[in-house]
Amino acid sequence: MTTALSRVDVAPVASAKRRRRAPGWLAVLPLLVFTAVAFGLPAVAILDGAFTAKDATTGATSYTGANMTASLQGPYLTALLGSVKLSAISAALGALIGLPLAQAVVSSRSRWLREAVLTASGVLANFGGVPLAFAFVATLGNAGVLTVHLGLKDSGWDLYSFWGLVLVYLYFLIPLMVLTITPALDGLRSQWREAALNNGATGVQYWRHVALPVLAPSLLGGLVLLFGSAFAAYATAAAMVGSAVPLVTLQIADALSGNVLVGQENVALALSLDMVLVAGLVMAVYLPLQRRSARWLDA
Amino acid sequence: MARRLTLWRWIVLGLAALYFLVPLGASVIFTVDVPGQGVTFDAYTKILSTDGFLTSLLLSLELAVATIAVVLLLMVPAMVALRLGAPRLRPVVEVVCSLPLVVPPIAFVAGIATVLKWGPEYLSRTPLFETFVVIQDDSFPVVLVLAYVVMALPFVYRALDAGLRAIDVRTLVEAARSCGASWPQALVRAVLPNLRGALLNAAFLTLALVLGEFTVASLLGFRPFAVWIYDVGGSQAQMSVAVSVLSLLVTWALLLALAGAGGRNRTASSRG
Amino acid sequence: MTHMTATLPETLEKAATVEFRGLRREFGTTVALDGLDLTVRPGEFLALLGPSGCGKTTALRMLAGFEHPDSGAVLVDGEDVTHVPAHRRDAGMVFQSYSLFPHLNAVDNVAFGLRMRKVRTAQRRARAAELLELVGLGDKGERYPHQLSGGQQQRIALARALALRPRVLLLDEPLSALDAKVRLTLREEIRRLQQELGITTLFVTHDQEEALSVADRVAVMRAGRLEQCAEPAELYGRPATAFVAEFVGTMSRIPGELTDGTVQVLGQRLPADGEVPDGAVDVLVRPEAVRVHPDEQGSARLVATAFLGAVVRATVRLADGTEVKADLPAHEATGLGAGTAVGVSLPERPVLVSERIQK
Repeated sequence: MTTALSRVDVAPVASAKRRRRAPGWLAVLPLLVFTAVAFGLPAVAILDGAFTAKDATTGATSYTGANMTASLQGPYLTALLGSVKLSAISAALGALIGLPLAQAVVSSRSRWLREAVLTASGVLANFGGVPLAFAFVATLGNAGVLTVHLGLKDSGWDLYSFWGLVLVYLYFLIPLMVLTITPALDGLRSQWREAALNNGATGVQYWRHVALPVLAPSLLGGLVLLFGSAFAAYATAAAMVGSAVPLVTLQIADALSGNVLVGQENVALALSLDMVLVAGLVMAVYLPLQRRSARWLDA
Repeated sequence: MARRLTLWRWIVLGLAALYFLVPLGASVIFTVDVPGQGVTFDAYTKILSTDGFLTSLLLSLELAVATIAVVLLLMVPAMVALRLGAPRLRPVVEVVCSLPLVVPPIAFVAGIATVLKWGPEYLSRTPLFETFVVIQDDSFPVVLVLAYVVMALPFVYRALDAGLRAIDVRTLVEAARSCGASWPQALVRAVLPNLRGALLNAAFLTLALVLGEFTVASLLGFRPFAVWIYDVGGSQAQMSVAVSVLSLLVTWALLLALAGAGGRNRTASSRG
Repeated sequence: MTHMTATLPETLEKAATVEFRGLRREFGTTVALDGLDLTVRPGEFLALLGPSGCGKTTALRMLAGFEHPDSGAVLVDGEDVTHVPAHRRDAGMVFQSYSLFPHLNAVDNVAFGLRMRKVRTAQRRARAAELLELVGLGDKGERYPHQLSGGQQQRIALARALALRPRVLLLDEPLSALDAKVRLTLREEIRRLQQELGITTLFVTHDQEEALSVADRVAVMRAGRLEQCAEPAELYGRPATAFVAEFVGTMSRIPGELTDGTVQVLGQRLPADGEVPDGAVDVLVRPEAVRVHPDEQGSARLVATAFLGAVVRATVRLADGTEVKADLPAHEATGLGAGTAVGVSLPERPVLVSERIQK
């Protein structure tokens, strides 16, 4: 009896030490191998392709910076800047509109309203791509319901333009902002408001000196997330404007499918690398902000 | 003051409701009120019989199921292991799972297309070439599953991490082990049931991503659901809008079902 | 409103009187305050004590201007402030926890109110530094809240509450989120500061020991009403009601028979306090008033003992099953084990009686 007990006591400890280490590595390994292949190979292909040129006649490849240079010139540069401008403006508007909307939901104590808006935001933030474009085409396109019934055409309305795209992008950017900023607004403690009032601050002073500074990292983080999201969007623009508005995603697609010029694949890869760099910059701003906001708001 | 606040809130909510509901309402009107034909429901009744609808929808669903299965099989053991035995790998996995956020889908597909070209260029004499052909099979393009798994990693990581944070995996496993469960039993019987919400959440986000994905599929030349909607849009505007509205409603229903099943914390997935 | 004087600590020229008059407040169907009348004397440290939901916090928040009474009035120095908005009340408040602004360091937190009043930067930082010195954190001025312990955060919250030289200091369970040891030292320090500054102070707590140990007077509240307001010794020694008796300190109930102002209990006849009709009553006794001695013939049995240092707290079961707590000097308790037959008696003094509670 006693020996049996002591064996039960001792054995798992020894074996656990031996066995725990092995499954730890083994369980993570497939994930790492998978990403090395499915993500690593394309990533290497982008890097490699962006810096190589293939001689059309001899088939020999050589390393060059020409693709990168080309991707930052002429129509490609216009497209890149167009994408940045579109994303920046849509993200700023999305944040500006999303914040009061989220505050309206958080400050109303109605659980029903809160659940409804958050669920709707969850759906709408995912409602991008082709269906979104078509819904807006049906509403505000040339034959759209509102365009026809309100006679918008005469007043110069054009959905297939820069501002048309902004209007459509806001449809998924505002909900994304609401989802991002709501936890931060929930994290604003009532004690802060009361402590501010107790120290002689008015409601406006509270927002200016306490609430907004505390929210600032989350707001900036949300802004950056919205920017990245708008920057990467392709399907909506492709389904809506074709190439009426110059965007880097559209340029890459054109170059890849050889629509414009044959043999532009490597410039497409260089453009892709440009995008990765911009997106990487965005994440580099986002992550530290996220961390700081978490430290302030989940104390 | 209280009244002014309430008024302000209703104005904001009212304007938001207007912006978000009008396109949906207008879309529905657009599909049923066809110029020259009056009110008709053809756009909806003809969907099923339209060429390519069922095959593309089925393809998307198959891709979604495969992607969910693969991403969960890869991520769940890894994430649990990070909590149990390999905490030092945690930053590695976190970085690996965040990297796809830095590579927009259009850039990712540019890379994939380049890799796929290596097949015929360099590998035509090796057995690997066979693999390249198989994964690009039109009836079930495995390459899309590979791409979607990568694209789903950040969202699945976040969903699982939130779920695991809420439970003490180590204690659960040790409790199960001390009750005589083997390692796999402990995982399946003790840990997974407590992760139900997180798993559902991860599955939903992946499903939404795959069903709506357009960029990768269209540029690689495959034709799942989103690409089909796009193609139909050229010739049958009414029907493409009808399908768009329906796909939104289906996503909505799925999300509500998920909320009912106890899932929380949705974040946006990428839009292709 | 702010007079800048260079030296600290300073006493206020004149401490304020606070009056609650017939305060009533309902939240939906629950009555938070049911006609509260209470006067706080100038310079007094008054503790509002009671179980959760008794309305003590609501009363405090009305004085701060965060809640408004359905009826009744709040007066400071005879002036009705019921309708003065929160940011113009002259009352500094320390909250339960986490009230420091997370994006400001300690100095800026303390100086926040001065910044709202447009006091010049150098001046307000100097004043904040003095206040931090006052609460013993002069060297932590550059720290942010998340870099400070719970006790340090509350000290800074205290300094911030004092920054605008309020006429009244409000403390809303400021110690309840801290661990036991910090709680002890901080409450002594709050008391010391309060006495140095001579500021009228209201201190809300549900911890009776805390209230008794620091306050000049303790107001015990129950269900939105004042039960008793008295100095700690009186509250403990002569509780006005059974509720106060049992809420403050440990109290045992022993069944007795009341006739003509005297009560028959444990074989003794003692004078009785308390307005109760004759008949079956409970006698309320403190552990230190109960005497226990070994007695082979005794019908009571010792059930358990707990060593508390100087005394041993004994639990005794009487013949009818009633359990009574008694404190014995440690040396008397040696040799008294569980199961020992004992006799129980009370000193010849008036005892508090209340209506019999069936158990």
